[in-house]
Amino acid sequence: MGREVSESCIDSLLTVMVSTYCNRFYANKPELAARRIEAIGYQVGHQLSERYTMERPRFSDHLEAIKFICKDFWFELFKKQIDNLKTNHRGTFVLQDNRFCWLTRMSIDQSPENGTSEELSIMADNKAMQSMHLYFPCGIIRGALSNLGIPCAVSADISNLPACSFVIE
Amino acid sequence: MIVCVAVVGHQNNPLYIQSFTDADDALKLHHIVHCSLDVVDERVNNPKKSGPTLNETFLGLLYPTENYKVYGYLTNTKVKFILVTTDLDVRDADVRNFFRRFHAAYVDAVSNPFHVPGKKITSRTFADRVSTIVQSFGLSSSV
Repeated sequence: MGREVSESCIDSLLTVMVSTYCNRFYANKPELAARRIEAIGYQVGHQLSERYTMERPRFSDHLEAIKFICKDFWFELFKKQIDNLKTNHRGTFVLQDNRFCWLTRMSIDQSPENGTSEELSIMADNKAMQSMHLYFPCGIIRGALSNLGIPCAVSADISNLPACSFVIE
Repeated sequence: MIVCVAVVGHQNNPLYIQSFTDADDALKLHHIVHCSLDVVDERVNNPKKSGPTLNETFLGLLYPTENYKVYGYLTNTKVKFILVTTDLDVRDADVRNFFRRFHAAYVDAVSNPFHVPGKKITSRTFADRVSTIVQSFGLSSSV
């Protein structure tokens, strides 16, 4: 109740978690590693949403809950709010964070126009590793929303680092 | 005198029921808690009757039975707290205060990584905190 941990510890813990699950536990099964990491995020999101909705009145609809995630929940987790929220009013929301905290330490690949096939496959591997790191925050969002009564599927999109968009359906 | 507190999950599954009297009527208290769940659902699903308190977490007096008063509290995550008391004059502020502390204890218990959501709360720390809150409720309302 009230003890704190430095942010760099959390960053390191997440990096090590992703690399352990990908390289040691489920070395040749990236699908299972992804599922496991997402499940961890789900439990964390579930418990955090309990804590952060404590003082607030109840939400009247889905939009209010999503706005809570974008503003208060994201602020508690990352000290900033979501920069952009888009919806198609038919159940899909896109949350965009222009400087996602956990991706800021990742190198940005400069993609050559006509790379050799070897370079392209290395880049594809890098992309796969980067997307592994996104399963945890996707799980957090999914856990928080399902605890608020909104079942959903969350996926992430990193076409331009360090911005990151989460698509909620 | 608080006789019983209960935590009920969002599928109306009991997560924690604790009675604080020496009498053997635990079953009757469970029954009262169970009936009050219906009242909670009715309050939540009938916006016309609730009026301005639609989105509050504290639901207030649910219904008075022969000897008991039952208060309800609904969290954002659809978890219900039920309080059964035999006091005749209970101040609203006291009950709200009680639920606020109870909610804090509940959040701490659920944040336990070994707690499985949906299963009963088995933490001793939570039970001790709840009995402390219950005892201090009795003292403050007698002043």
